[in-house]
Amino acid sequence: MVTRRSLFPFSVRLIVPLAIALLVVLIYPLIFSFWVSLHDYSLTALDDVRFVGLQNYLELSGNPSFWNALRNTLIFVFGAVFLETILGFGLALLLHRPGHRFTNVFRSILLTPMFITPIAVGLMFRFMLNQQLGVLPYLLDKVGIQIDFFGSQLALFSLILIDVWQWTPFMLLLFLAGLESLPAAPFEAARVDGASWGFTLRKVTLPLMKPVILVALIIRGLDAFKVFEYVYAITRGGPGDSTETILYYIYKVAFRFFRMGEAASMAYVLILITMALVIVLYRLMTQEEA
Amino acid sequence: MPSSPYWRKRLIDWGGTLILMVALIVVLFPYFWIFLTSLKPTVLVAQPDIWVFAPTATNWREVLLESDVPRYLVNSLIVGASTVLIALIVAAPASYSFSRFKTGGGPVRFSILAAEMLPPAVLIVPLFLLMFHLQLLDTHIALIAAHLTFVTPVITWFLIGFFDEVPKELEEQAMVDGYTRFQAFYKVVLPTVRPGLAAAAIFGFVLSWNDMFYALILSGGNNKTLPVAIAGYWTFRGIEMGKMAVAILIAIVPVLVASFFIQKYLVKGLGGGAVKY
Repeated sequence: MVTRRSLFPFSVRLIVPLAIALLVVLIYPLIFSFWVSLHDYSLTALDDVRFVGLQNYLELSGNPSFWNALRNTLIFVFGAVFLETILGFGLALLLHRPGHRFTNVFRSILLTPMFITPIAVGLMFRFMLNQQLGVLPYLLDKVGIQIDFFGSQLALFSLILIDVWQWTPFMLLLFLAGLESLPAAPFEAARVDGASWGFTLRKVTLPLMKPVILVALIIRGLDAFKVFEYVYAITRGGPGDSTETILYYIYKVAFRFFRMGEAASMAYVLILITMALVIVLYRLMTQEEA
Repeated sequence: MPSSPYWRKRLIDWGGTLILMVALIVVLFPYFWIFLTSLKPTVLVAQPDIWVFAPTATNWREVLLESDVPRYLVNSLIVGASTVLIALIVAAPASYSFSRFKTGGGPVRFSILAAEMLPPAVLIVPLFLLMFHLQLLDTHIALIAAHLTFVTPVITWFLIGFFDEVPKELEEQAMVDGYTRFQAFYKVVLPTVRPGLAAAAIFGFVLSWNDMFYALILSGGNNKTLPVAIAGYWTFRGIEMGKMAVAILIAIVPVLVASFFIQKYLVKGLGGGAVKY
């Protein structure tokens, strides 16, 4: 059979549909967005779009709301990822007991929160933690504890706890898979040497798990950076601006104040942060291959 | 004391199980509470101290039969299914190419991963403006385009890991048998990764189904999706809480069921053929 000769090899022809799709929905919007970020582009004055160069970017440095949003987001990301890593690792160690009868049931149920739409999680917890309607303040009140979960002191922390409920399962999933794939020999050696549980954990398990932990940390960190739904569902950035995160602030600037150029410039700052982390992530992932 | 290590082990075993039980309750309680709320008569919804009551189907009936929630559910289904279908068609051949021929090498794989991680805030402004100028705002097309921006890279990345495991001999044999390269891919390789395709499709669908950020801005009116509709419930009085509970359950139960099928494929998919567990 004579095959039709083509300008491009088979391997390249296979990726043409993907390339076209991503060009249309991803690359072109990204370029357009950069163009928008260089303009004074307001949705309320579409016939008056003016080129302003880097002005949008320069004005960001003097914009306290932007820095506040960035600060809140960083606190959120570090707090949430830290707690999720500790809890996820602890639970993974507990679940990693081969032959245990209920392990599969436990795991399947413990993993469920990560699959639910975050807006539902946000509303569920807004309802359950509400001062008047909520079941948790009611139960805590019974034992003499009074907490206003969404007051100015605690609101950001409460959002972190909600994130921990939803996303610790993601850490658990990756850590369990990591633990299951560890070689048996080092653990045998430690056992023969009579090493204690704590010693084995510190000197054998943790070093072997380091690559998995780093990959999980970065993926989760990148994802936590996108927090929006909890803020939208519960606090709308308040009280004051104590829970205004970067995505919520961009949303507000673009779709409440209609300042598209400014929002696009903030988005591009966000790309830089994201790309830096993705480079580290990619290095880590491909290192493991070797 | 010969029995000491034995008891120590038992104690650790029981302690571990106890902690797992607590974790289980923490995970399950919100589901339980929302389900309970969905069955509460309207007057009791605002009373967290009521745990025992005569259940009523009023909330369920009103949401399922007398509200627009079923319409929004269909919207979510249409958007999710269309997104996944398009994403699979463009992603499957490309993933195969990345896996088998290492097309584009590291830079291409990096770009796919980067696209997967891109914050939605970056794309919402240009997508909104483009859809605005094309007069496609509040249509399914706008939302499908937006969801393709993350579902396509995720599915591409997901499938690479599955294609990596198909032995080269399989398609070589197929070509000896007279298939063209494309037929070998389409008729021999693709069917062998069917579980991967199914898991990727379900995972992609869940991502689309769960999105509220894009849907909030790009879909509206009769074309809005379930997550946006749920968010709308809180603006009503506390009295609407029972109905919100029903809407939440409608949005999460299908996903919870699906999760049990894809859990075991998820790790391989997330690794994209790079992380070897």
